[in-house]
Amino acid sequence: MTTLNKTHPLVDTTEPNLLEDTFDYNLPPLIHFEDHPAIEYIDGEPVEFDFNSVKSRDIVVTDTTFRDGQQARPPYKVEQMVKIYDMLARLGGPNGVIRQTEFFLYTKNDRETLERCRALGHKYPECTGWIRAVKGDFRLVKEAGLKETGMLTSSSDYHIFDKLKFKSRKECMDSYCEVVDAAFEAGVRPRCHLEDLTRADIDGFVLPFVERLMEMSSQVPDEQSVKIRLCDTMGFGISYPNAKLPRSIPKLIYKLNRELGVPSDRLEWHGHNDFHKVHANAATAWLYGCNAVNGTLFGFGERTGNPPVEGAIMEYIALKGDLCGIDTTVIRELADYMRSIGLPIPDNYPFVGKHFNTTRAGIHAGGLRRNERIYNIFDTAKLLGRPPRVAITDKSGADGVALWVNEFFNLKGDQRISKIKVHKLARWVMDQYEVEHRLTAISDEELEAKTRELMPDYWAKYKG
Amino acid sequence: MASVQERVKEVTARVLKVDPGRIKPTDNFAADLGAESVQSIELVATFEEEFGIEMDEEEALSVDTVSSAAEFITKVCREQGVEV
Repeated sequence: MTTLNKTHPLVDTTEPNLLEDTFDYNLPPLIHFEDHPAIEYIDGEPVEFDFNSVKSRDIVVTDTTFRDGQQARPPYKVEQMVKIYDMLARLGGPNGVIRQTEFFLYTKNDRETLERCRALGHKYPECTGWIRAVKGDFRLVKEAGLKETGMLTSSSDYHIFDKLKFKSRKECMDSYCEVVDAAFEAGVRPRCHLEDLTRADIDGFVLPFVERLMEMSSQVPDEQSVKIRLCDTMGFGISYPNAKLPRSIPKLIYKLNRELGVPSDRLEWHGHNDFHKVHANAATAWLYGCNAVNGTLFGFGERTGNPPVEGAIMEYIALKGDLCGIDTTVIRELADYMRSIGLPIPDNYPFVGKHFNTTRAGIHAGGLRRNERIYNIFDTAKLLGRPPRVAITDKSGADGVALWVNEFFNLKGDQRISKIKVHKLARWVMDQYEVEHRLTAISDEELEAKTRELMPDYWAKYKG
Repeated sequence: MASVQERVKEVTARVLKVDPGRIKPTDNFAADLGAESVQSIELVATFEEEFGIEMDEEEALSVDTVSSAAEFITKVCREQGVEV
């Protein structure tokens, strides 16, 4: 292996380079790709992938909060689902970045939910169904007036033999294809969910099955052609270059998209987070030619959960370089609402956790005071309604206390109080730990009371 | 009236709880007199109260010895019309 001996002379400057073409504080940090394609070796041959195409492709988010998301918690009430659906529509915006959602259809509540969501009159997200791969279930889809439904077509031998008890792969494939035929007869587009794909025999079952689906689709109108959902059911999927099948996400998508010709707008990725890879895997799917990423709000879903919809939304903006009609402030509204109906969002959860942009260290608070951008990921006040916060602990120092006070009084620019003026409050905080041997963080309520006591002139001026 | 330096020493002794007789003009507030982060802020705040002046936070906190504090405070007093 040759080593390049490159020298790197210092580029001196007296003006800071804040790399604002990437770190535009008004948006999530943008993702730029090199002008040349990425190359993956597949079956011994170099294959090019143009990641820049993601800017012009119609990539979308699809939602399964009411299906996979509901499998991980007590059932939602009808009015809760209707409210969440309404907020999903606002979040995704008029261009339908959140393009579809899916509903169970079996119970009276399921059907009432669907009816009331559709009555809201939103174009997006489009409502689709989710049924078992059973011919009779298409009656439900047709009665509901839906044009598309997902159906489980489990693809690994774990499922084919051990769960579904088929005697052979052929018996399994024939059974699935019968149900697909039933979908066509009902005038419904089937979305085949290749469950456990990342543990399946790709060459031995998956590709022959999808090839047959493509052939069947050629006999029906385009709007009924089969869609394929790639289900990384156990979170085994891997994004790394050179990973082997069946775990390699690039290779899976390549095989379906380019070898079998399934168009990108009929490919959808559905992941799980058992190995902490769920969001990166979903973004990878977009890059390699899968137009839809299927997720749930705040990642809540079976076991360790699914790609978080709000994460996909931020990734979308970063890839596209524009908000594209998305209203990111709805993310906070959704989080507040979901908490109010019992969804436990961890304090350190990205974008919506109580402390996702709270700094505790005094040195970080000092940085935030000088320039919010130093320790805040983007303009969280503008995009999420959440200005950066400071939690007051023994590590906060006077910088942390000054930051808290200025935020409390909502002071900006030249109005801000210097840390000299908060010295009494900073002393009180320090004494809590050094003299009183406190172990816990100091609550906002305590700080408010102490601010009133120790900074009465400022209190009168800004709160009086 | 006591000199600026004497008043600086007296405030320093009070805030940092050290013997005023121990304090030398060349003493560094942090290294020699043990001033910690919050105490540095308290020193500046108490100097402001003692002399009736307002100091720029960054400039004031960059002053690190007793004698340079006396010089800085003298300059600020002159700028703000405070007799010392």
